[in-house]
Amino acid sequence: MELAIKIENLSKDYPGRHALTNVSFSVKKGSIHGFLGPNGAGKSTTMKIISGLIPASSGNFEIFGKVGFLPEHPPVYPNMNVRDYLKFILAIYSSEKSLPAAGTLERVMEKTGLSDVKDRLIGNLSKGYQQRVGIAQAIIHSPEIIILDEPTVGLDPVAIAEIRALILELKKDHTILFSSHQLHDVELLCSDITLINHGEIVVSGKLEEILSSLKTNMSSKARVLNFNEQKSQEMLATFSPDLESISYEADPEQKNYLVSMVTKGKKDLRTELTKFLAHFEIGLLEFITERGDLEDLFKRMEK
Amino acid sequence: MIKPNRVMILAKKELKDAFSSPLIYVLSGLFSMMMGWLFFNYLLQSSQMTTTTMTQGVITPIFGNINFIFIFLCPLITMRSFAEEKKQHTLDLLLRSELSELEIILGKLLSNVCLVLFMLSLTSLFPIILSLSGYSDWGVVGSSYTGIILSIIAYTTVGLFCSSLTDNQIVASLITFCILLGSMLLVISVNATNNYLLALMIQYLTIPFHYEGFTRGVIKSYSLIYFLSYYAFFILLTLKSLQRRKW
Repeated sequence: MELAIKIENLSKDYPGRHALTNVSFSVKKGSIHGFLGPNGAGKSTTMKIISGLIPASSGNFEIFGKVGFLPEHPPVYPNMNVRDYLKFILAIYSSEKSLPAAGTLERVMEKTGLSDVKDRLIGNLSKGYQQRVGIAQAIIHSPEIIILDEPTVGLDPVAIAEIRALILELKKDHTILFSSHQLHDVELLCSDITLINHGEIVVSGKLEEILSSLKTNMSSKARVLNFNEQKSQEMLATFSPDLESISYEADPEQKNYLVSMVTKGKKDLRTELTKFLAHFEIGLLEFITERGDLEDLFKRMEK
Repeated sequence: MIKPNRVMILAKKELKDAFSSPLIYVLSGLFSMMMGWLFFNYLLQSSQMTTTTMTQGVITPIFGNINFIFIFLCPLITMRSFAEEKKQHTLDLLLRSELSELEIILGKLLSNVCLVLFMLSLTSLFPIILSLSGYSDWGVVGSSYTGIILSIIAYTTVGLFCSSLTDNQIVASLITFCILLGSMLLVISVNATNNYLLALMIQYLTIPFHYEGFTRGVIKSYSLIYFLSYYAFFILLTLKSLQRRKW
């Protein structure tokens, strides 16, 4: 497997604080790699080190190709218009050895959907568009690897979806490493993920493998009209041995019952459970599956 | 290795940025108003003084004033340079680019020097007005301009250094102002000491001492050396300040 980024035992100490401790992971060429962790876990520090902005205290990393970087705050000049800004970036990022191909500017603006706003001042653009300018800035010198630090943070849902589509589009030509809090983004976009907490790697690997290793127990909640001990015993008997436990409580305010079920193993019992609960004596109102996904993982990491 | 074309790219961008913001126009307006006023006053006075020449009565004092006013104006022009980049998170963008740190500093220095020269060029009206009444001592005017240009480049290098220290523009301009005014006050306090040798040494380290020669039409080689080493020293400090992130 060809690698794009290889990080080995990277450590970074700020005065009086360990930011990173022995961070090791690798990013496959042509993949979208999600980099996850709570605030202050060391995501930005790692990305700054990889992009060559700050040196590591120890350890080493290899980058196979040019790197484009979008930091947490898009590095834009509010007083410049989009076109002049990208032209300037192109000029200072291209060396004599690799002169930019003609039409690069137009192509990048087309790709990032900036053609319509190219004459507007960046400071007057919406946050979503500023983020696009930031992404355009990262890809303008046609790097093989793009590092995006929380590209969807602070955007409205429509803009998030657009940025997500853009990242998928970029996958064709680039390897992408991006950090996010948006677990939903990561699930939709990434093939591999790395989780980091308190400056240490928690887990790194294929998204599906990590998710399936988590899905040992699935818990569901149902809101029903009527429920009692007898029903609960009946349910346990019907679904044993796949149903591990069942509990219920009355909700006097909404005049209904909340039933919590935990299933054992990886078997998906949702259809059977809903069929049972939909019985006229019980009356199913709502059925929720607690997502045994990255959110779980995040919560566990916090503990 | 410094590539002049890369320095120019940055300098051009900075200039375009500066001329599209109101600050430079406000400062230029203020500056030319003050200078015009002073020039007018000196001109009126000189007509009553029969013993002094036009050079002594108008040119020398007016250039002294220009120099003094730039101590206030230079910090306001240079304060943006690095402080604003830091605030906008764009400094990292420059540092990651193909530009070397020295090229970034030189690009910023060049654009700032162009800005102060633009403001200084507004005073070129004074010699033209004087020439209409028959003034012809162009040697002194030339050396005064040389002196003032050398001094304001020195102020600009100090301003750049202070701007690289902080992400707050006001703090940057205040520190610059303190350094510049402090070095000016040094001359006054040195004159009060009894130690002649010490006085000479400290005097050599201050800008006004060297500038004063230029206003009299005397260009000393050691003054040129002084200014060049002054620039080099503050550019070096700025470079170290930019490299601070690697410590």
